[in-house]
Amino acid sequence: MRSQYDSVTAKTTASDKPRLAAIGLIYVREMRDQLRDRRTLFTIALLPIMLYPLLGTLLLQIAQFTRQHTTTICIVGSDNMQGVPPLLEGEAFSDEYTDNASNLKVQLRSDDDLEEDDTITEATARWVRDGTFDAVLIFPDDFSEPKSSKHDQNATVQVLYNVASDESQIALSRVTNILGKWKAVWVGRSLEASGIDMSTLEPFQLDDVDLAPERTREAAFWSKMLPFIMLVWAMTGAFYPAIDLVAGEKERGTLETLLCSPALRSEIVWGKLGAVASFSMLTAILNAGSMLVTSSLVLNQVGVGGATVGAPPLVPMLWLFVALIPLSCLFSALALAVAAMARSSKEGQYYLMPLMMVTLPLVLLPMLPGMSLSAGTSLIPVTGMFLLVRALVEGQYGDALLHLPMVFGVTAGCLWLAVTWAKRQFENEAVLFGGQEQWELGLWVKHLWRDRQPVATTAQAYACGAIILVALFFGRLAATTVPDDLAGITKMILSPQLGMILAPALLMSVMLTTSIRTSLRVRLPHWLSLPMAVALGITLHPLYLALGRWIEYTYPVSEEAIQAMVPFVEQIETVPWLSVVFLMAFIPAVCEELAFRGFIFGGLVRQGGRLRAVVVTALMFGISHGFLQQSIAASCMGVLLGWIALRTGSVLPCILLHFTNNALSVSMSRLTDSGLPGIELILTSTKDGPTYQPLWFLLSIGLAITLLLYFASLRSPVDESNISDISPNPTSPQVASQATVV
Amino acid sequence: MIQVDQLTKAYDDLSRGRFVAVDQVSFSIGKGEIFGLLGPNGAGKTTVLRILSTVLSPTSGTATVAGHDVSTDPASVRRNIGFVSNNTAIYDRMTAWELVSYFGRLHGMSRKQLQERLEVLFDQLRMNEFRDVPGGKMSTGMKQKVSIARAMVHDPPVLIFDEATLGLDVLVARNLLEVIKALRLSGKCLIFSTHIMSEVQRLCDRIAIMHQGRILDIGTLNELRDRHNEDEFEELFFGLLSQYEDGRHGEWNEKVEFQTPPPTKGETSP
Repeated sequence: MRSQYDSVTAKTTASDKPRLAAIGLIYVREMRDQLRDRRTLFTIALLPIMLYPLLGTLLLQIAQFTRQHTTTICIVGSDNMQGVPPLLEGEAFSDEYTDNASNLKVQLRSDDDLEEDDTITEATARWVRDGTFDAVLIFPDDFSEPKSSKHDQNATVQVLYNVASDESQIALSRVTNILGKWKAVWVGRSLEASGIDMSTLEPFQLDDVDLAPERTREAAFWSKMLPFIMLVWAMTGAFYPAIDLVAGEKERGTLETLLCSPALRSEIVWGKLGAVASFSMLTAILNAGSMLVTSSLVLNQVGVGGATVGAPPLVPMLWLFVALIPLSCLFSALALAVAAMARSSKEGQYYLMPLMMVTLPLVLLPMLPGMSLSAGTSLIPVTGMFLLVRALVEGQYGDALLHLPMVFGVTAGCLWLAVTWAKRQFENEAVLFGGQEQWELGLWVKHLWRDRQPVATTAQAYACGAIILVALFFGRLAATTVPDDLAGITKMILSPQLGMILAPALLMSVMLTTSIRTSLRVRLPHWLSLPMAVALGITLHPLYLALGRWIEYTYPVSEEAIQAMVPFVEQIETVPWLSVVFLMAFIPAVCEELAFRGFIFGGLVRQGGRLRAVVVTALMFGISHGFLQQSIAASCMGVLLGWIALRTGSVLPCILLHFTNNALSVSMSRLTDSGLPGIELILTSTKDGPTYQPLWFLLSIGLAITLLLYFASLRSPVDESNISDISPNPTSPQVASQATVV
Repeated sequence: MIQVDQLTKAYDDLSRGRFVAVDQVSFSIGKGEIFGLLGPNGAGKTTVLRILSTVLSPTSGTATVAGHDVSTDPASVRRNIGFVSNNTAIYDRMTAWELVSYFGRLHGMSRKQLQERLEVLFDQLRMNEFRDVPGGKMSTGMKQKVSIARAMVHDPPVLIFDEATLGLDVLVARNLLEVIKALRLSGKCLIFSTHIMSEVQRLCDRIAIMHQGRILDIGTLNELRDRHNEDEFEELFFGLLSQYEDGRHGEWNEKVEFQTPPPTKGETSP
């Protein structure tokens, strides 16, 4: 628990401008400190330099072993092979079937060679087991006799081998290869004997021509593999220094020394961030470099794979630095922020594991087949950068240039967020000094009940959001089919809305806060803001539709998904209008707003978390919508709703705005067909369904801006952002007694 | 040099609910004065000193150090203080000389200035034998000296020592106390916390006795003795503590308590 010292975060350090000289000093010190540590040097420099060559040598040795090792094979029953194409020439396989006869040693055995009271089965099995021979080939007595066909069975050749022995496995593969060739020749001869032309067996030959430029072909494998390896190492390389520089220093007590020096918190963060990023980059470069050099040497020697895995092209790989620098900084900032929560190095490792789990998918995503740089993928953090670099390495400069602004925008945004988070962590004394106490379930439950406040705490708000999202996820898994009658649809809408969104928020509000009204933010705002919210919903709806179309254009919905929704859409059209509005506008507006802009927003907005409240509730709101296209649109809507919630200090305008928007969405086609006078000035029918007239579109945007200005001019009736997480009404006996003292 | 007014620090605590670590503490310290905060473990001494060194920020109340407010101008406060505590350790992989000059550089001192200042400091604290010994290889006493040198490198007008003698052997502790005496002569304002009574008696110009987040009484040694009619300082200290503990469940009125001789235990309960 980090509740200790939660009250105040250092207020002013952020406003002071960081001095470059101080950042430089801290950076140099941290670098030198890490470089003086033998363990760091070992993991960062020595390990990669030694590891890959060692692995390479091992690989080479295995390859050589497979090629040059002499295999000893025993053949039993070679006398039984009469009247068939000759497999053997004396005590060796016929040259026709072997690539390299020198590494095959063949010995022929028959029953006569056996000692008394020893059967051939036992003897051969013993030979393979004790390694006398790597494999034993047994031709049965009836092998070449035509009468064997009378049994409706072909003759069987047995190969005895031992899976536990590498030599034996190699022997098996060699023998199988030789027998395969032998069989082909045998079949050929039989066919020829019965007068069939051999060429009929192979009507055509396949000649595949790779048109990719040579560079792409070589780079294809490496441009996937190398960025991946580099990014994984950049992550690992950031983690350990980050733990040491923050959690480790806390543990050793040197962090407080630095905090009471004149260095500003921001200077400390920048200096440490620089050091962590440097190590992250160094680790990545050394590892990727060492791997590149080793593998090009090994691959040249071994020559496996041929066309698919060429030696890596070295010069294009320089593009990797374009990605490495910002991504290293991003990982470092994240690692630093997370490590700040830990009190010791050991705890730091626990905390960084989840961070790794969250970021790894972003690195793995570009490895999926079919992933390439597009408008959609360029928006995904880390993945977009990865794909951009791949395009650059493969020489697709046009493509790369096109998406460059997007990728850089997203990366810069993430970087800014991560650094801001790290800085916040360093300004938060709860993070730096908090929580030396033992956590205990009973105490915690008591604490939840005893220290209830009118509004949810930040932690409770996050917990509520997480509960809602997890419940919705499982709810969606459970509901597999789209219902096709009204009762089914009603159930499909009501059960998540009431059971999974409203219920958790309401329950938490009842049990964990002292005031349901305050915690759900149900308070009367300025009366004018209510009709204004409805008007805003009407005037923003055309823009919202346009946004939805644009999203569907950028991230097309799959045909299957559209097909799956058809019965639902058809069913909705037959349901009475009021029921539709109730189900799809009223219920979601009330449930979702009370949860997201009510309970969760109230918990997040305290302690100066205005931006946090708006952004986090918007994201949660978006994710709660289940599939990507809707989630993006809903997140945008969520930002607007959050802002309105902030301006008015109430959930009511949000409910109205949400309701208006949803009601319009479900009523559009009915409105278009309604024949209301003047409706054709606003709405028009197209083959994609009803749309707004362009003139109304422009007009409504103008009106919406005016309405937004109205909301911007509002003053929130209560400023909740000053509420601290400390209980305002202490009830513990100790404090109560103090109150009488004063 | 230091003004503390109604300083309060509270936080939520799992087992105790809202916990007030420092409760409306007020005092002021002048130039050339050594001020001692005396109290048992958990009295809130460290919290007060951490707030003064701007590592923690107060929940309410104000504190100014050398004319700068700790909550609004912490950077200036930090430039004017030297803070030594149990929790301000030194870096393992830095030598004494490197460490002290690193913090000097952070204070914006030039290399030349620093060179001169370091020579003086290392002489004064008799640290020349382990100039180039890395922190990890130092004894506790050496480390403490380095910490003090680190805190004094920029010659701050205010020095804050939090349990600075804790864990030191008698010899080193004695040495430290000599240093503190010398600092008083050079006009520094010095605040230090301890739970060792003899240190307070020997060094402090004025003493504040803290318990459970509150200051029970402030004054010079003689003032305290007179006020509580108790010559034995140790008795005085324990008397004050137990009175407070008895009194806090009933009505404890500190003003009355400070002005009148301490009543016997029976009289404190309402």
